[in-house]
Amino acid sequence: MLRLPPFDVHLPDELGAALALLAKHGRQARPMQGGTDLVPNLKLGQTKLEHAVLLAGIDELHGIELDDGELRLGAATGLNALAQDPQVQAHLPALAFAASRIASPQIRSMGTLGGNLCLDTRCRYINQSELWRQALGGCLKSHGRECHVVPGGQGCVAALSSDTAPVLIAYGACVHIAGWQDSALVRRHIALADLYDSDGVRHLRLADAEIVTAVRVPLPSANVHVGYRKWAVRKSIDFPLISVALRLERSDTGSLLAGLLVVSVLGPRPRVIDLKALAGRTIDADLAKALGQMAFDRCRPLPNVPYDADYRRERLAVEVRRLCTEMLNL
Amino acid sequence: MSRPISSDKTARDLHRLDTDGAEGSGPIVGGRHGKHDALPLMSGIDRYTDDITLPRMLHCKLVRSPHAHAKIIAIDTSGAEALEGVHAVVIGSEMPIPYGVIPWTPDEHALALHKVRFVGDPVAAVAAVSEEVAIEACRRIVVRYEVLEALVTPQAALARADLKIHEDNRHGNITKHVHLEFGDVDAALAAAALVVEGDYQFHGSTHAPIEPHCAIASVDGKGLLTVWSATQVPHYLQRELAKVLELPMRQIRVIQPAVGGAFGGKSEPFALEFCVAKLAFKTGRPVKCLYTREEVFLAHRGRHPFDMHYRTAFAADGKILAIDAKSLLDGGAYSSFGLVTTYYSGQLLGAPYRFPTYRFDSTRVYTNKPACGPKRGHGSVQPRFALEVQLDKASRTLGLDPIELRRRNFIGENSVTINGFHIGSNGFLQCLEAVVQASGWAEKWGKLPRGHGIGVAGSCYISGTNYCIYPTELPQSAVQMCLDRSGRVRVFAGTSEIGQGSTTMLAAIAAQELGVELDDVRVLAADSDLCPVDLGAYSSRITLMAGNACLTAARTLGDKIRDILAQLWGIPAADIRLEHRRAFSLTNPQVWMPIQEAFIITESKLGLLGSTGSYTSPQSAVHGDYRGGTIGASPAYSFTAHIAQVQVDEDTGEVTIEHIWCAHDCGHAINPVLVEGQIEGSVYMGAAEAVMEHHDTLPSGLRTDGRRRDSGPGVDGLLMASSLLDYRMPTSLDVPQLTALIVQAPDPRGPYGAKEAGEGPLHSAIPAIANAVFDAVGVRIDNLPISPEKVLRGLRNQAGRKPC
Amino acid sequence: MTETAPVDSTFLDTTAAEPTRARRLVICRLQVNGEGVAVVAPVHWTLLELLRYQLGLIGSKQGCDKGDCGACTVLLDGKPTLSCITLAVAVQGRCVETVEGLGVGGEPHPLQREFAERGAAQCGFCTPGVLMSAAAYLDELSSSAEPVVRQADIAAALGGNLCRCTGYTKIFEAVHAAATQILQRSKALADTSTDDAS
Ligand SMILES: Cc1cc2nc3c(=O)[nH]c(=O)nc-3n(C[C@H](O)[C@H](O)[C@H](O)COP(=O)(O)OP(=O)(O)OC[C@H]3O[C@@H](n4cnc5c(N)ncnc54)[C@H](O)[C@@H]3O)c2cc1C
Ligand code: SF4
Ligand code: FES
Ligand code: FES
Repeated sequence: MLRLPPFDVHLPDELGAALALLAKHGRQARPMQGGTDLVPNLKLGQTKLEHAVLLAGIDELHGIELDDGELRLGAATGLNALAQDPQVQAHLPALAFAASRIASPQIRSMGTLGGNLCLDTRCRYINQSELWRQALGGCLKSHGRECHVVPGGQGCVAALSSDTAPVLIAYGACVHIAGWQDSALVRRHIALADLYDSDGVRHLRLADAEIVTAVRVPLPSANVHVGYRKWAVRKSIDFPLISVALRLERSDTGSLLAGLLVVSVLGPRPRVIDLKALAGRTIDADLAKALGQMAFDRCRPLPNVPYDADYRRERLAVEVRRLCTEMLNL
Repeated sequence: MSRPISSDKTARDLHRLDTDGAEGSGPIVGGRHGKHDALPLMSGIDRYTDDITLPRMLHCKLVRSPHAHAKIIAIDTSGAEALEGVHAVVIGSEMPIPYGVIPWTPDEHALALHKVRFVGDPVAAVAAVSEEVAIEACRRIVVRYEVLEALVTPQAALARADLKIHEDNRHGNITKHVHLEFGDVDAALAAAALVVEGDYQFHGSTHAPIEPHCAIASVDGKGLLTVWSATQVPHYLQRELAKVLELPMRQIRVIQPAVGGAFGGKSEPFALEFCVAKLAFKTGRPVKCLYTREEVFLAHRGRHPFDMHYRTAFAADGKILAIDAKSLLDGGAYSSFGLVTTYYSGQLLGAPYRFPTYRFDSTRVYTNKPACGPKRGHGSVQPRFALEVQLDKASRTLGLDPIELRRRNFIGENSVTINGFHIGSNGFLQCLEAVVQASGWAEKWGKLPRGHGIGVAGSCYISGTNYCIYPTELPQSAVQMCLDRSGRVRVFAGTSEIGQGSTTMLAAIAAQELGVELDDVRVLAADSDLCPVDLGAYSSRITLMAGNACLTAARTLGDKIRDILAQLWGIPAADIRLEHRRAFSLTNPQVWMPIQEAFIITESKLGLLGSTGSYTSPQSAVHGDYRGGTIGASPAYSFTAHIAQVQVDEDTGEVTIEHIWCAHDCGHAINPVLVEGQIEGSVYMGAAEAVMEHHDTLPSGLRTDGRRRDSGPGVDGLLMASSLLDYRMPTSLDVPQLTALIVQAPDPRGPYGAKEAGEGPLHSAIPAIANAVFDAVGVRIDNLPISPEKVLRGLRNQAGRKPC
Repeated sequence: MTETAPVDSTFLDTTAAEPTRARRLVICRLQVNGEGVAVVAPVHWTLLELLRYQLGLIGSKQGCDKGDCGACTVLLDGKPTLSCITLAVAVQGRCVETVEGLGVGGEPHPLQREFAERGAAQCGFCTPGVLMSAAAYLDELSSSAEPVVRQADIAAALGGNLCRCTGYTKIFEAVHAAATQILQRSKALADTSTDDAS
């Protein structure tokens, strides 16, 4: 069977201790939560590390709380917990739905929100065994010098395949980050959309000793609707091959005030399309069509994840249209 | 000694212990019973191969080629040998004798000798104290290659006769060519009212049993080698081990522990078995090798991709006049069962329909990919797809209900196919009728709203092949049976239980014939030291062959018991029944005794109660009299009809299979629960490969000398899907509703009339789905799998519509 | 050659492989099937390795190496968990249930009995994992306010367990039958207890 390469494991129970460990070991260390992304990648030799810093013991990362018009979701919140939490279901139903569509029941009971947002990017040329990647001659994200998705390309375009990221971006979520500087804990927060960078090798705008501690989501007002759709070949286990989240702000008359279309599994960061241009239009079947066309025109899925890229582009248009149609009656 | 039993209930209660209340319960053969061996397996008690650990056991890992096609220039193992914890390294030159499951085509080596032929071809093996050390040692083995151009499509392999994947192959890269013609096909085609002609592509798929291959070897100091392996052919494994290791067969013991699924994927020897054996000799310690999931995909031997060109001629009334078939088989790097596959691609099409002329021309070529072999429905699933789709096309053109078209062409029972195979019982019409009724065909076909459709297809399969894969007049199956004073029956059989239920089948026959309960039978199977030879679990042969052998052995013992009791009771032996732990007189219910007592009495009179039974296939009225005419001939044939109902999403092209009804003529259902399970599992597997699964290499550029083409991934022969994440087998949420319907047309050649159920029910699932897709939206997908993008393209072509 | 208790010495000298690498053995203390155990294992071992190769609990199987198949499913504090991608040290102090602990006192669990009788296990290799997911489903069902056995819920609960043999049909039937039985039993129990109360 595939065996994990040897590494050391740390189980700190304080945030500061975890960060200090991460700072001490630099690139040789990584935080680990559910491990459902990290462990398979380690087994495949795709990720290498000397020190795994388990975050489960840190109280601060747990819990879902309503606080000052925002829902605070700890980074260690389990995916099942997220899907089933009454507050999340009541205020952020699309997030609960997205979480319920991740992987399988087992992985949802192991995986966490923090891990899901910080999931490594995926590509058919990297999520492979050592032998396979050796045969390929590597690529920018492993030991090679070329990208096989975009031949001649300068950057890795492996895809972010997180189910919760697009929907949280649509909700306007903000990530809280803790870091370690000069032996002291420092905190900052940024819009979730800004967590992601366009380099698939290092797609998170996090410094070495930084971790995500929580996500804060402003409670949407009554006229704001967010929806999510994911396409995968199988109804369980599979990562999304296309995913879309849509935010529609509706005026009293039923027209579009503002909105966001978030498309993911394209490249290392979700594509956020502001719907300004469509403001004022009635939210109806025509709008759904227009959004589908817009997604088709503006997004070009790459042959990074499995499945025909041209088909994924067409599928994207349909998913967007259907998502909007589903949301018409809300 | 007879113990009279009165009709008085109290008196009967007194005997309850002996008869264990079994009185009145139904028959064992034909009754709905659970799987005999299931509970201990699912409780972590009985062991699969990787569950076995031996003292001082070492772990083995293989070094595999990163090139699809290359010469091996040098192998330097010193780095591995120097590593602490490494006990031995073995390379190809230490096992230079070639082997192959088909004795006519030995083209494999335990480890590659001079050349590697696919990405993943094993070149060296290490035995070390742990898997981790073995993995590290493998990294330290340096192999120098001279990279050759890789041929990854059968067309390229045909075109490049100059670049031979196997240098000593006679005709370029062709591993086998079969051309057979029966009757005047061209004349029939010329005279036909309708000729349906088309190209069909059947894609590759793999077995993907959940248990990966695993083997352990141990030597005992006196030279006896024991190999435990997750195999479905322990006998062939023993033979090939003997050949490659140059040992007499008597010095090799092969034990097949519980196997976690096989489906044809474990039906020949693999590198790991030779390597652990060799390393056990080199180190004097037990050695285990467990494949990773990726290695299972590399071991492959899955369904051959076929490129087919079919012409089928019809009379105006729908009668088939001729079939003209041409197939190109993508064989992968080695022959495997390929010789047989090439024959099967034509030979197994002869029923359930009658047609007066037939020609097939099949060519199998080597390519630089994992070798293809037998997957459930070996060699006949692909041609079946082409033919059944053509029948659907014909029925549309001729304005006939496809059910009616199939009825009109029915070959009948006790008939002979155009290629000379003798069909005995044939329940195909009942199968058709059963699925028509169950599915509500009459209200649905052509009548469902657009986007919804229903399709039918039929098929036929073998119950074992009449001839062994090596020439022999020895029995194909044999059973030894022993009764003892405890009231237990022991059955020793070489049969491979791989989940299909062979152990339960043997237990049922023994219990039925000897008057014990299922749990009173202990089946000891697949241990070459303890059990007589059985050829293995392939071509759906065990129920018919080992079942017959078991029946013979059991009846021999039953007769002995009846003879003794007849003397004792002074009644004719024919009047004595053995049932549910009792022996009793049919005519006088007062005369009976517990079966255990009957065993004891008989043993005390005759000595130890043992018997044997052998099965050798019939020598006459089986096959045609021409070169190749024996290949594919079977003692009896199973028949199947499928109806599939689908929904097609016209925006996305996605096909949802809603329901599949499958009626299967298994002859006689020795255990209906298990037969249903085989039907359901087969249909599931067929549906999965029709719409989801695909085993292939990535389409790619070319690399001969490290340089690459401008586009494409640049390397040939890399598997598209080599994990259970990327190779998408349906989950519990993707599976259609499955209805299994058992049809029983008993065949005199089968035990109690039984034929087979393990493979037949897969075949026509695939064309039934394709035909249903056409019924739903008028799109024909003739190249599998039926993926959404192809359906969408078909819809576009149909409507001239633009994207979105 | 006879088989011995499946205890592996795999970790003993892995230091040889990559001498530069940091490596530690740890004592993992956890509850397995209701019993406290303390086992020494390399710190980077998975729970599946610990169960199979250290504790000899071979009921949990390995099918895919990395989270894709569900054959290694165990219950961790009652929740279905893939032991092949769970670090053993991460479950310190927690409760692990494996298929070996399903039955009580030598009696198979109702799920096991139904699986055996209904042919829901063919090769049986996926079955331990399937059983653990099904057991988690049963727990959830019995603890829900208004328990109803639904095919769709069963299929969803088993969504992470691949079975290659059965097409899932008989698995659904068996889980359904066991669930119905257990509900009836607890209903009967509840009825008698309310009777007692009145
Ligand atoms: C078979 C399979 C199917 C899957 N299907 C899906 C799917 O459909 N959709 C989907 O979205 N995901 C899927 N996943 C991926 C994964 O299971 C989930 O994304 C899960 O949420 C990851 O969470 P985790 O806690 O297990 O992450 P971990 O594996 O612990 O961590 C993931 C990554 O995030 C980093 N990280 C973890 N926590 C933090 C933190 N607090 N701050 C900074 N970095 C952190 C880690 O270092 C690591 O690089 C699948 C995985 C498998 C094995
Ligand atoms: S996108 Fe290119 S560089 Fe990135 S993982 Fe895929 S092939 Fe490698
Ligand atoms: S072995 Fe753990 S999920 Fe497959
Ligand atoms: S019973 Fe064989 S995999 Fe499920």
